[in-house]
Amino acid sequence: MRYSPASALKVAALIALTALPAAAFDGTPFTDATGREVQVPANPARVFAAGPPAATLLYTLKPAAMIGWVRAPKTSDLPFLRPEVAALPELGRLTGKGDTLNLEVLLSATPDLIVDYGTVSGTYTDLAARVQDQSGVPYVLVDGSFAVLPQSIRDMGKVLAVPERADQLAAYAEATLAEIDALLAEIPEAERPTVYLARGSEGLETAAKGSINAEIIERVGGRNVADLETKGLANVSAEQVQAWAPQVIITIDRDFAARVATMPEWQGVPAVTNGRVYLAPATPFGFIDAPPSVNRLIGLKWLAHKFYPEKVKTDLTTAVEEFYDLFYGVKPDGAALAALLGG
Amino acid sequence: MADRALIPLLLVGLILALLLAAATGAFPIPPGRIVAVLAGRDGDAQAAAVLWNIRLPRVLAAALVGAALSGAGAAYQTVFRNPLVSPDILGVSAGAGFGAVLGILLGLPVLAIQLMGFGTGLATVGLVLLLSLSLRGGGQVLVMVLCGIAIGALAGAGISLVKLLADPESQLPAITFWLMGSLAGIKRPDVAAALPAIVTGLVPLILLRWRICLLALGDDEARSLGVEAGRLRLLVIACATLVTAAAVSMAGVIGWVGLMVPHMARLATGPRFDRLLPATLLAGAAFMVLVDTAARSIATMEVPLGILTAVLGAPVFLWLLARGARTWSE
Amino acid sequence: MVGVTPLVAAQGLAVGHAGRAVLSGIDLVLEPGRILCLLGPNGAGKTTLFRTLLGLLPPIAGTLTLGGAPLSGLSRRAVAERLAHVPQGLSTPFAWAALDLVMMGAAVRLGPLARPGRAEEARARQAMADLGIADLAGAEVTRLSGGQRQMVLIARALAQGAAAVVMDEPTASLDFANRIRVGRAIRQLADTGTGVILSTHDPDQAAALGDTALLAGQGGVLAAGPVAEVLTSERLTALYGIAVRRETLPDGALHFRG
Repeated sequence: MRYSPASALKVAALIALTALPAAAFDGTPFTDATGREVQVPANPARVFAAGPPAATLLYTLKPAAMIGWVRAPKTSDLPFLRPEVAALPELGRLTGKGDTLNLEVLLSATPDLIVDYGTVSGTYTDLAARVQDQSGVPYVLVDGSFAVLPQSIRDMGKVLAVPERADQLAAYAEATLAEIDALLAEIPEAERPTVYLARGSEGLETAAKGSINAEIIERVGGRNVADLETKGLANVSAEQVQAWAPQVIITIDRDFAARVATMPEWQGVPAVTNGRVYLAPATPFGFIDAPPSVNRLIGLKWLAHKFYPEKVKTDLTTAVEEFYDLFYGVKPDGAALAALLGG
Repeated sequence: MADRALIPLLLVGLILALLLAAATGAFPIPPGRIVAVLAGRDGDAQAAAVLWNIRLPRVLAAALVGAALSGAGAAYQTVFRNPLVSPDILGVSAGAGFGAVLGILLGLPVLAIQLMGFGTGLATVGLVLLLSLSLRGGGQVLVMVLCGIAIGALAGAGISLVKLLADPESQLPAITFWLMGSLAGIKRPDVAAALPAIVTGLVPLILLRWRICLLALGDDEARSLGVEAGRLRLLVIACATLVTAAAVSMAGVIGWVGLMVPHMARLATGPRFDRLLPATLLAGAAFMVLVDTAARSIATMEVPLGILTAVLGAPVFLWLLARGARTWSE
Repeated sequence: MVGVTPLVAAQGLAVGHAGRAVLSGIDLVLEPGRILCLLGPNGAGKTTLFRTLLGLLPPIAGTLTLGGAPLSGLSRRAVAERLAHVPQGLSTPFAWAALDLVMMGAAVRLGPLARPGRAEEARARQAMADLGIADLAGAEVTRLSGGQRQMVLIARALAQGAAAVVMDEPTASLDFANRIRVGRAIRQLADTGTGVILSTHDPDQAAALGDTALLAGQGGVLAAGPVAEVLTSERLTALYGIAVRRETLPDGALHFRG
């Protein structure tokens, strides 16, 4: 799924309606992922994140600069968010599939910068430029590829004028990725589990191999069985899952996780037989995707524990505690952590 | 084609389609072992589970959905005296679609989603009928169709609204897949839930099949031949709608079948509904079984049925248009 | 004929749509084996009258009985047993085989769940044979000529076996030969005892076919009675608003010239 492009499109469309004069402003030139040189305010104080991935990154880097959420956090997310930020208003449903953002709401919140974090391509380069030309608000797009995550954190940190904070988070990301690489070096291809990512309450919606939604499963060495004709989300049949016979099932659907053991059409799938169906934690942000942002770093560690229980001996609860403290600025108590990881 | 030869021929075709579908699937079961597995003489519990819990319910569902949509299409075409009408004409698919996507938005269990789709599909057509009966020129076919278009458009707007409100990461893909039609998630309880409604709707159509012919003449003509045309048409619409709503709530929105299959069948049987209906039911079942087999075997991922039926249906439709007045007059 | 229950009888009948009469003061009686011709300019309400007789429109005033029974108390089936309809043309979009269309006349005798069997097929074939169109049985009605379709529709009325038939301009838009064929078929129908009411724009046809005639115009009935009495030069001149002269041909037939 794509995030930033559609957001740019929406902002462009809406800003075109109001036809604001392009404002000149002082700032530091910054060349963003689209190759555009953008004049960024020296110390952005009111930043609008164009999509959920950008919102998550912005929250972890500079929560004080947030002026609102594109989608308000759910009640269950609140204990895992900084209280002052959790209460920010929902400004508009600026998401990946063409929803609406009320530009008057956005502009009345007086942003001095719009940041986006996601796919970079010609269309979106142009759209970002259009939005900025028409609104006068600088628009920076940072590459959302997982492979360049540490660099993207640093880039975003530079734009937001929080380089030290960005260094700290990027270093964590680098260490995590190095840890995973070291782990994988010990595990031959054949010993890595075959994995199926189940979505939807029937578990028959999946993310294809190579899709952004399943990216980190493959990064931890999981062999995604869903090698499909698409690189996005798809429906598959229960029989197909039976034929794939995945050793591990990762799901983001609580209902499916609760029922899979009793669903007749899932019986005999090795992951179900061996009790290796895992519900990915999702508060305040998903471990696997939803949104595909820095939140996936803890997802890597969680997956490593689930994939290689014999090899990974570090304490998962401690790792989660550290991550939440460092990235989200909250210290969940033992009960909250147990509930989070308990499924 | 001789009337007597057609039905056995279609029956053989359906049986062959069912056999092919039962022998085809992602889970490797050699066709030779299928009979043994079904008879319980094969010890492979996994193969038996796949066949009984996944493949066979789905093949049966495909046959049911195909027969239901095609039979309803034939009935609608006859009572609306228009060979280019599909079962969606009174808004049943849009209505069922709205209910189902609303169910997805509310995070309901699958069976509840199906029930909601079924209920709103019926309610939509009920509303259309009530409206058309209360308007001037009440009960006329044209008024009915126009009401169907209006209410269908409202349901379509409802679907768009639900899409707008849906969580783009989890609910929206599910909604999109549902609206494209698929039997990928079919289970035995789904078939058991839809079967009574489909049978209840089809039985009166089958029993009244000759009398329904007369509705194709127009109300006045049918009445002067001694038929209570208005009442009979309402009954036929109710039955065809019940059948369609049950099929759509189980399989999602699948277009073209209800338009195309009766049309093709009519080429062989002529317009007599009493001959058309059995041929349509058999042909529709066989067609949908084959299309669904394709949907689950031409790619690793599920190809939505709505896409396949449109790809097959649109050229056939154009071909029919080009042949023009062969089975109907302008 | 005294004492025979009329197949169709109307007294003080007014017909129209939505409570507004287009034709009123209609008194008519149709007896078995008789042909009643209805003449009147376009818009005189002939079709409206027919629809009322068939129970498709409620009468606005007056009484109307079919076979002695008030129409208002009759079911569709009972009406169809008493009165069949031969429409002006075919309105079906489907390519019925002629025999299938004729067999639909059987609906009046069949239960809701029944299909026509051999007896009904034989009856339909007989009706077609009686009209000399047995060879059209397998033909698609959408491909027939106007005259052939009219014959098929008359055959259906025959197969329906109603005591009386109303025909809406049965010979309109037919060529000369077909007009004669259809005229003969109508006479044949009456000779078997069926009562016929037909509308026509042709006074010659009315004079040749009809036993009685009814002239409708200006919202009411100008005259009704035996054709020779009703169809006078003066009345037709008044009815159509154009000078009409009546002549008697050497064979006794009436002929009208404009």
